[in-house]
Amino acid sequence: MTDQLVERVRDALRVVIDPELGENIVDLGFVYDVAVAGGTVRITMTATTPGCPATSFLKDGAQTAASAVPGVVSADVTMTFEPPWTPSLIEPTVRASLGFAAIN
Amino acid sequence: MGTRPSLRHHKERRGGPGKIIRMTPGSRRNFFAEPERDDETIMIGGGISRWTMAYFATALTWLLAALALMVAGIGHPATDLAAPDTLVLVHVVCIGWLSLAMCGALFQFVPVLVAKPLFSEGLVLPALGLLTAGLVALLAGFMALGGRLPSAPWLLPLGAVLLVAGFGLVVINLGVTAWLRPTGPARFVLVGLASLCATAAFGTVFAFALAGWAGPTGDAVLARAVPLHAIAGLGGWLTLTAMGVSYRLLSMFMLAPEVEDRQSRLTLAAGALAVVTTVGGGAVTIGFAMGQNVVLSVAAIFGLSCAALYGRDLAGIFRDRKRQLELNTRMAILSFASLAGAAVLGIALVSMGTLTSHSGAFVFLAVFGWLSGLVLAKLYKIIAFLTWLETYGPVMGRAPTPRVQDLVTESRATKWFAIYHLSVWTGTLALLAQEPNAFRVTAAAMTVGVVGIVHEIIRIRRLEDVAPPLRLPAGAAAPHLLFAKS
Repeated sequence: MTDQLVERVRDALRVVIDPELGENIVDLGFVYDVAVAGGTVRITMTATTPGCPATSFLKDGAQTAASAVPGVVSADVTMTFEPPWTPSLIEPTVRASLGFAAIN
Repeated sequence: MGTRPSLRHHKERRGGPGKIIRMTPGSRRNFFAEPERDDETIMIGGGISRWTMAYFATALTWLLAALALMVAGIGHPATDLAAPDTLVLVHVVCIGWLSLAMCGALFQFVPVLVAKPLFSEGLVLPALGLLTAGLVALLAGFMALGGRLPSAPWLLPLGAVLLVAGFGLVVINLGVTAWLRPTGPARFVLVGLASLCATAAFGTVFAFALAGWAGPTGDAVLARAVPLHAIAGLGGWLTLTAMGVSYRLLSMFMLAPEVEDRQSRLTLAAGALAVVTTVGGGAVTIGFAMGQNVVLSVAAIFGLSCAALYGRDLAGIFRDRKRQLELNTRMAILSFASLAGAAVLGIALVSMGTLTSHSGAFVFLAVFGWLSGLVLAKLYKIIAFLTWLETYGPVMGRAPTPRVQDLVTESRATKWFAIYHLSVWTGTLALLAQEPNAFRVTAAAMTVGVVGIVHEIIRIRRLEDVAPPLRLPAGAAAPHLLFAKS
């Protein structure tokens, strides 16, 4: 049941995209952890640039998307920059579609 | 699913977007960021600068005014470099266009560079008002000096005072913000702001001297410090600041690792030494009535070293990039080519002993090829990015949103940038060939390019290229053309 809720939350987070990369935060590897205890979801995630206004919207968006999942009573999102995000965290198929394979 | 990265949690002082966290001792920062001091408080997220678009719109209006002057044959090359009409043209370009565009960008990006909130959002709009009023008074003063308006000696000092007040607010606001965490590109901004102070100080003395209010010392400064004023403004304020911001923007948009701090510090040191030598050494030569050739030659060597080191840094960013090049980056490359071209042209003119007679061509290539080319390319990207944040950021998580790239149509915009850069390079040749009429034709072609780019920017602000299903999701509000609503 808990695993199913985690998966539903991860699916819901796919509506949140990094505006610059144009892909969702799950496939980009921004979501480091989704933990469920009862109806409370704790999401630990990152972004590319700490001081960028987009980082605020990513956090807000993740919180909003997770809160809308049936079975979730409350959602708490923590931003972390440890470990730092790198393009190697992107899902391989998405990385290829972004043209990474042809560059570096 | 890949292996989940191991986590070391930071201590969060205040949660939520735009809030402050304290990094744990020994922590490493983000992929894009430079190393920093331990246990340092940084901002997560940040605000959208409310008046950045107003700065950009005002700057582009002044650029179009400058192009109109060039097409009409007002100012150099139709007149001497020191003629009042040329002074009008130069200050429309350097203050109205480049400085306002730079200030607008810095109010948004200095907080990103240092991960600290802007010192005061409330000072941003008053600064724009003071700068605009000061520039209008200054231009009127130059026009009176040239006989285009009735004599009014007080106009130039009035313009200078208003400009000093406006730039003073800018320097305080950005300087305090950057000083809180002066790392990497932020150091370039701080040196740029110091250069802006030197530029404004020289300009103020000039204005009072032209009004006859500065005494013999002011007259001596006016007679000999114009090159120092120009180098501090174009080289120190505009070029060093543009270099600093470009490091972060290029890394961000190409997913390239940040240039190492010690590497960019060397580039900055060369640039700062060029400015210090020019301003400090130049002031000494004026004070002791000495020749300026040695001082300016040493400054030129530092300046060329800075440009070469910057080229090395850029090559590293491009080599290590993870993404294909977008239009803004491809067009930025053309501006880097103009910077290199200006350096080569400067060396050639000095070695041939013709720098004095062709300095207009050299400055034109630096101002329109390098600085204006880079600013136009980055405006195209920054405006799309900020427009996305304003419009779609608030509804993220509630509805599908477009990408930043969905706000632009690069295939259509490319030709305007191409026309602009080709016209600038042709215009440089026309100046070297001393063909004023050919220069006016190239200025008209530049105008076509800039009007095209402005049209593209307006389309971005109006979301005209976003496909209808994603254009305005429920809860999203269309952005205002001239300011950010949120």
